Amino acid sequence: MPEDRKPIPRREFLRVGVRGVALAAVVGGTGYLATRSREARYVWQLDPSKCTQCGKCATNCVLKPSAVKCVHAFAMCGYCELCTGYFEPEPNALTTAAENQLCPVAALKRTFVEDPYFEYEVDEPLCIGCGKCVEGCRSFGNGSLFLQVRHDRCLNCNECAIAAACPANAFSRVPATQGYLYRPGYSPATRKEG
Amino acid sequence: MKHSRFQIPDSRLAGILAACLLAAAGCSEEKGSGLGKDFSYDLTELRKVEPHLIGYDEAGTISVPLKEVRGLAVDAKDRVFVAGDDVVAVFDREGKREAEIKAGSASRCLAVAADGTLYVGMKDHVEAYSLKGDRKVVWESLGEKALITSIVVGEGGVFVADAGNRVVVRYDLAGKQLGLIGRKDEARDIPGFVVPSPHLDLAVGRDGLLWVVNPGRHKLQAFTADGDLEASWGKASAGIEGFSGCCNPTDIAVLPDGRFVTAEKGIPRVKVYSAEGVFECVVAAPDRFGKDAVGLDLAVDSLGRVLVLDPQAKKVRVFVRRKRMDG
Repeated sequence: MPEDRKPIPRREFLRVGVRGVALAAVVGGTGYLATRSREARYVWQLDPSKCTQCGKCATNCVLKPSAVKCVHAFAMCGYCELCTGYFEPEPNALTTAAENQLCPVAALKRTFVEDPYFEYEVDEPLCIGCGKCVEGCRSFGNGSLFLQVRHDRCLNCNECAIAAACPANAFSRVPATQGYLYRPGYSPATRKEG
Repeated sequence: MKHSRFQIPDSRLAGILAACLLAAAGCSEEKGSGLGKDFSYDLTELRKVEPHLIGYDEAGTISVPLKEVRGLAVDAKDRVFVAGDDVVAVFDREGKREAEIKAGSASRCLAVAADGTLYVGMKDHVEAYSLKGDRKVVWESLGEKALITSIVVGEGGVFVADAGNRVVVRYDLAGKQLGLIGRKDEARDIPGFVVPSPHLDLAVGRDGLLWVVNPGRHKLQAFTADGDLEASWGKASAGIEGFSGCCNPTDIAVLPDGRFVTAEKGIPRVKVYSAEGVFECVVAAPDRFGKDAVGLDLAVDSLGRVLVLDPQAKKVRVFVRRKRMDG
């Protein structure tokens, strides 16, 4: 046996072995717990069928602008020329001029598709979650615009300030794996959120 | 400590300031959110109707004891037929219940032919019944995408509105398909139906033409039985003379003298237009209906009464013309 390869003493071998097992247990345990906590994690969400578009989502969130945004279920949308979520109830003209737009922060974008259809997309960084367009869409149309907590922004506070203020009790904790709630009749499989 | 005439104690100043802030908040906030009026969607003014424009009075109602009511028709004897649940309820002209016809599935709309045959629209097909309730025949399905919303019987046959496929299907009385009406065709100058929500209604005009609502274009359009577009009228406006929102009217009927009755959603209201499409008067203002009233179906009888099916109230509401429109 060469001199540079001395046998490891039994005590040293046991000490290294125990350390290795302990390290593996810590790493494995942490991974297991992390996976498990992700599976069991709950997030805040609002039920569109209960929402009354009171405006409190815009003003009660700890984030400015709010983590609640308008989302658009394109599969439900009529692609209307006169979209009541986009236009004032009595627009001067069906153009994108500011005075015709319903959204106070111009967060809804209108794009021509083909006569007489137009596509409407939400510019999320601009949207403050006031719900004005949601009410306009719901009043006349199919309700394809609705409010949702966006989980890429939401801080998931233990006590959600909006949930506490919501007069419709529309907020609840939902599993993170199913973090969005849709309006009845909308199939998430065909969604293209805007 | 002695105050001068113009000094206000700090405690009082704070109180006055707080009161001013609260008053300002009360004036500017909507629904307690802290947002100003620019962030509020308000149709209150548009729901108001000048009293002098109202030309009809509600003369009575027929309660329909069904869970869900969807379609309304009146026959030549002024009997009232209501489609709902999986039945057709039949009433006499005074509203007394005469019969209930069991349908094969959920009935959505209906029409009665001169020979007494009752054509009932289901989601994707039509079923024909005798007035005794015997099912005569089940017509072929219009496909998975079909959503039948209206049926009328005219000189050219039976016309079935399919909102799902955005087309009117013409049949003979036995159920043989004769053609399609209203599909986009630039060569025939037919723009096509724009149907953002499931409302595509039909009526037969006094001239025998088939009148079809094109809700996304806010128009009523007249077709021959062969599908030629003959006439069109209507304009988008939240004002009383036009059709409001994205897609109105939702329902139409034709009075015995050829004038039109229209119903809208969003701002639920029923109005009368001349045979040329000029606004004449209001039958029922928005305050007659619930805020979210939708699916108002219309029929008229031989006396010129306007019958409105109110699905929220589960009632047929009967309106008669005022002798004098004085508000």
